[in-house]
Amino acid sequence: MVRMTDLPQATQTGMANLECPRFETTPFVSGPPLAKRRVAVVTSAGLVRRGERPFRSGNVDYRVLPADTPADQILISHVSVNFDRTAFQRDINVVFPLERLRAMEEAGTIGSVAATHYSFMGATDPRGMEANARAVAGRLKSDRVDGVLLTPV
Amino acid sequence: MSALAHYLEDEGVPTVAISLIRLHTAKIGSPRALWVPFELGRPLGAPRDETFQTRVITAALRLLEAAPGPVVLEDFPDDDPTAIDLPGWQPPFDLMAGALETGNRATLEHALGQEVLAIAPFYERFVAANRRTTIGLSGLAVDECVGFLAAFLAGSPPASPDPAVSPVQALRWAVDDVKAYYLEAMSADGAIPSSRQMQSWFWDRTLAARAIIALRRQLLASDDKRSQAIGRMTLVPGAQVLRLGLQ
Repeated sequence: MVRMTDLPQATQTGMANLECPRFETTPFVSGPPLAKRRVAVVTSAGLVRRGERPFRSGNVDYRVLPADTPADQILISHVSVNFDRTAFQRDINVVFPLERLRAMEEAGTIGSVAATHYSFMGATDPRGMEANARAVAGRLKSDRVDGVLLTPV
Repeated sequence: MSALAHYLEDEGVPTVAISLIRLHTAKIGSPRALWVPFELGRPLGAPRDETFQTRVITAALRLLEAAPGPVVLEDFPDDDPTAIDLPGWQPPFDLMAGALETGNRATLEHALGQEVLAIAPFYERFVAANRRTTIGLSGLAVDECVGFLAAFLAGSPPASPDPAVSPVQALRWAVDDVKAYYLEAMSADGAIPSSRQMQSWFWDRTLAARAIIALRRQLLASDDKRSQAIGRMTLVPGAQVLRLGLQ
């Protein structure tokens, strides 16, 4: 596994031809220097807290990941099996890098780490996620977040 | 990922996305993105490499303040140093599964259970060193997971442990947990081989993998479309379907 070129040709072709949403606008929001930003992670890795029901195919909802959730309470439930999980098994930071962000906060590279982070399941038509994505934006603004790091798998 | 970025940015929240599939990011036009040449599944690249991960995050977050909009797509220059094969790597235990006999549930469950038991000390060592496990989607213990697999293979699908989900959906999560158990046990000695090495070893040498491949075949032959979809898409990775010549 698992670069695109390792996948069956049909899968590669499907990914290459995947219909992607086209937007008529190109929103682009500026902000303060990085050292003053409050940073959150929003991931499409299908992360859930242990005990929550895993994501299933077609799910467009999101899960809340408080920053103080212990790493051993976070599982990966993305529906695709066509990506590497061994790195995540060894080190959660490969997908959900809160320890790295905390170190960057201590070093003064970023201002602070958000109190809450969010997870979607990426193998879904993103247009179905719009309402939930906008709801997450509202929650991020309530937490004064002005920098989001988006991580896929 | 890029569409999520668009929606967040449209609501006034600045974003930067890490991109694993450059083509999709370019098509959608993510406000800011850093493409990384890593495997799918590792947006930060190398596990247990704080320096490398910090370089990736810093390169991404710097786009928040340095790059002019409205669409920025930069490339990270370096590959994941752990993506290459580790010469001579073997897991800290050896297995070479024999033939899988699927007819008798008790026999099959016993055989799978014996393999699980054989590698338990290595799984426990991994969990102690890593202070976490990624097993837990099914809500079953790993010996219960293999019992669940055995029941399916023997033609008597058990009730779902979660009444709100179908048995075949529960099977998929049990398979995920079994795979995680083996791969974590294989990582007990701390070596970091490539994921390709680990996957090849698991799919070539374990009875669990043979059982999962047999389940895939069984579900594909089902009349139930959902079972067919789970068999086709969610048990065996596409790269292994290709490598092993599965139909």
